[in-house]
Amino acid sequence: MRRLSFVIPALVTAWSTLGSSSSPALLPDALVSRQLFEREHLSVGETVELSRSASGGAAKHFRIAGVYEPTPDPMRFAQERLELRVHLPDAEGLAASGPPGVPVTGINVQLRDAADAAGFASDVERRLPGVTARSTSASDDRVATFTVLDRFHLAIAIVTLLGSGAFLLALMVMLVDERRETVATLRLIGLTRARLVTQILIEGALIAGAGAAFGIVFAAAAEPAFNRFFQWRYDTALVFVRVTPAIAIRSVAFAVPVGLAASAVAGWTVLRRRTLLQVGR
Amino acid sequence: MIRRAIALAWLRVRREKGRTILGVAGITAIGALLFDMLLLGNGLLVSFRERLDRSGFDVRVIASESAVIAGPPIERVTAKTAILRRAPSIAAVQRVRLGSADVEGVQAAHHVTVAGVDPDALVPWSMIDGTFPSVGGPPAAIVINRNMSRVFHLMVGSRLVLEGRCGAALHPLPLQAQVSGIAAFQNDATDALTAASSYAAVAALCGESDSDRADMLLIRSNAAAGGADAAAAAARAALPDLHVLTNEQIVERFSRIEFSYFRQLSSVLTAVTLFFGLLLVAVLLTVSVNQQLGEMAALRALGLSRGRVMAGVLCESALLIGIGGTAAIPIGGMLSIWLDHILRSLPGIPADARFFVFTARALAIHAALLVAGAVLAALYPMRLVAVLPIAETLRREVVS
Amino acid sequence: MVAARDISRVFEMPAGPVHALRRVSLAVDAAEYVSVVGPSGCGKSTLLHLLGGIDVPTTGSVMVDGVDVGSLPDNARSAVRLKRIGLVFQRFFLLPMLTAWENVELPLAESGVGRAERRRRTKDLLEYVGLAERADHRPAQLSGGEMQRVAIARALANRPALVLADEPTGELDQATGAQIVALFDRLNADGTALVVVTHDAAVASRAGRTIQMRDGSIVGESHRS
Repeated sequence: MRRLSFVIPALVTAWSTLGSSSSPALLPDALVSRQLFEREHLSVGETVELSRSASGGAAKHFRIAGVYEPTPDPMRFAQERLELRVHLPDAEGLAASGPPGVPVTGINVQLRDAADAAGFASDVERRLPGVTARSTSASDDRVATFTVLDRFHLAIAIVTLLGSGAFLLALMVMLVDERRETVATLRLIGLTRARLVTQILIEGALIAGAGAAFGIVFAAAAEPAFNRFFQWRYDTALVFVRVTPAIAIRSVAFAVPVGLAASAVAGWTVLRRRTLLQVGR
Repeated sequence: MIRRAIALAWLRVRREKGRTILGVAGITAIGALLFDMLLLGNGLLVSFRERLDRSGFDVRVIASESAVIAGPPIERVTAKTAILRRAPSIAAVQRVRLGSADVEGVQAAHHVTVAGVDPDALVPWSMIDGTFPSVGGPPAAIVINRNMSRVFHLMVGSRLVLEGRCGAALHPLPLQAQVSGIAAFQNDATDALTAASSYAAVAALCGESDSDRADMLLIRSNAAAGGADAAAAAARAALPDLHVLTNEQIVERFSRIEFSYFRQLSSVLTAVTLFFGLLLVAVLLTVSVNQQLGEMAALRALGLSRGRVMAGVLCESALLIGIGGTAAIPIGGMLSIWLDHILRSLPGIPADARFFVFTARALAIHAALLVAGAVLAALYPMRLVAVLPIAETLRREVVS
Repeated sequence: MVAARDISRVFEMPAGPVHALRRVSLAVDAAEYVSVVGPSGCGKSTLLHLLGGIDVPTTGSVMVDGVDVGSLPDNARSAVRLKRIGLVFQRFFLLPMLTAWENVELPLAESGVGRAERRRRTKDLLEYVGLAERADHRPAQLSGGEMQRVAIARALANRPALVLADEPTGELDQATGAQIVALFDRLNADGTALVVVTHDAAVASRAGRTIQMRDGSIVGESHRS
């Protein structure tokens, strides 16, 4: 085995050359993350030495029993998931110093009644000062992070909407202006302004609706490509993009009124002029 | 020819006010977003680099490459510090030990990060009020940040008791402390509670007075002896088991990992915005050209060459994008203030971090993208003009 | 001046080829006034487009001042139209965002004429067509006859030896059309060769020579006595 230095949080800091006389069958098992497994070209059944010390002191031998896929963590998606798991008693002795036993950073508890989680957490904190207990469903920093990112994306969407709204208005004005003689002829025949406005709004609604629907279909079709790219880029199983019904509804709720407003303004620019002027008289 | 084409395009843009204003408004909005995404791509890194440089240290030594801050500890740190101080390329060394504590009598929700350093050496913070005395306690002299002063109503001279939440000891003795100063710490988030005391005091806080360890070593290089790279090389040679990073390498690492999301977001949004903007401008120009096919055919019939009429379309594209893209810079600047305000409310972000930082490079890329965009958006409309059948178009215009 | 030798023009359409012109030969001398008449679809406009180098014959050749324009590259043909031929259209085709002055000045600017000379020539042309006081008006502010007069001034910008007019009075009432015809008379009297395509007998009768067309061929020719 070779000496490697790479990122493994918590339990391991360095690999070192094996000089053990222990039989692999008697060694404690360790599971390694897929990323670590691939990066260090390990194999199941291989024996490794783990140490928390940079110099490799107080090392223990483990046998690689298997490979696991780390649970995708959106807070750590950019980090290489170089980690492994051992049974807690087997980790004894890996701590560089301190009293006997194994220091733990967290304890997961499954309650008989999950609805009691918040109360249980408060009770633990009261009984054990210095310990932080939290229900897994309670909001924490990670929720705040995604709330902020959601607001950021919404801000960008608003700016994009403003820009595309201006373009849409320009196009609608140009396209409606092209039909000004047709509009004038219809007015001369006897159609009212209201009738023509209704016509323009219906056309605008159809175009805006069709455009919004196409946009959602395009986004849904592009979703796998985005996810595949970022999953490849960050070597993770995390899902980055998901077009949900709520997002689709929100998109349509923004897009259609913008399209209607653009149609209405464009229609007004044509209908406000005197009819005779529009037929060149 | 280009001058005449620009003159005619400018006339057209000026006199078709409605279309021009709306088109330019659209380009300005999209351009502002594009500019901001370019600022975002490097902004946080520039801001992070500036803060690192402001600390006064340009090299860090840690035990593991797993975490720049608070990874596994460095053992036998006293001897290692002495070794480093002997290197000519190293001007100063500071050991930092990190711990966490609760303020006695206050709810457990307020956890304080405490840094232990050698008071005699260069410290990685800037004093706002008071001092950080080299001779300590009891009670131990402690420097706190503004937030801690506000939350616990502390000022210079106030006394407090810290209950350690660090180290292997189950119940370390509380630390009697007195506030000697208020300071600004480099990476403080807006809601961070940060304090600093002597190395010995923090070791006692964690119940490890006998240990000789630190979480990191900070090095200030000797500029006259080769600077940060030379100091880093000396540290690596002296301490081969440890990981040595210059500020530049820390920034690169953060760029690759912690900032990766924002870099990716910047790249993706830049690409999407550019594509979207090009599409919109191309559609606008195409509709405009389609509406003017008769005029274009007449111009060709009068004797203007194909290249000349195509140049007119290109110049119109360049004018619209040039005007809108230029207006996008101040608008983008204002937009970035809003977006920056949103992102700085992310938990754990240092209070003085900036996500959007103006750089000449971003401006240059913005200008280059505008130029490329003007050409690309005009390609299809130019093609329409290039293949325009003059006679057929004239005939069609008469019939219609 | 301009000579079409055995020219044919075939348009390939989805429903089959359309023979717009069938082996037509025509020569126009300097300062000659020729009108081309015939029913709709007989090939009058196609003939005009080929004479002006706007289109290229399927077979045959069109010679302008001894040069086969059909064999020239597109840029060269454009240059011939810009400097040697003036074109007047039924629909005027003035640029709507330019004033009358700017429309007339455009071909001069494209020919590289200096500013002072452009200014002088544009002024002279607008006076020639009687619209000096409307120089700052845009086409939307002009009547049909005025627009056509601006178009004629534009066609004369580079002092062409030949002016081709395609139904120049087609969009105008009789009185206004008469003004345009009078202008053409004056042009011809000043030495400009004219070929006018028209279905208006009154316009055609002003020409020294009238060509009758039917089904893509010349079926007759008459001279004004």
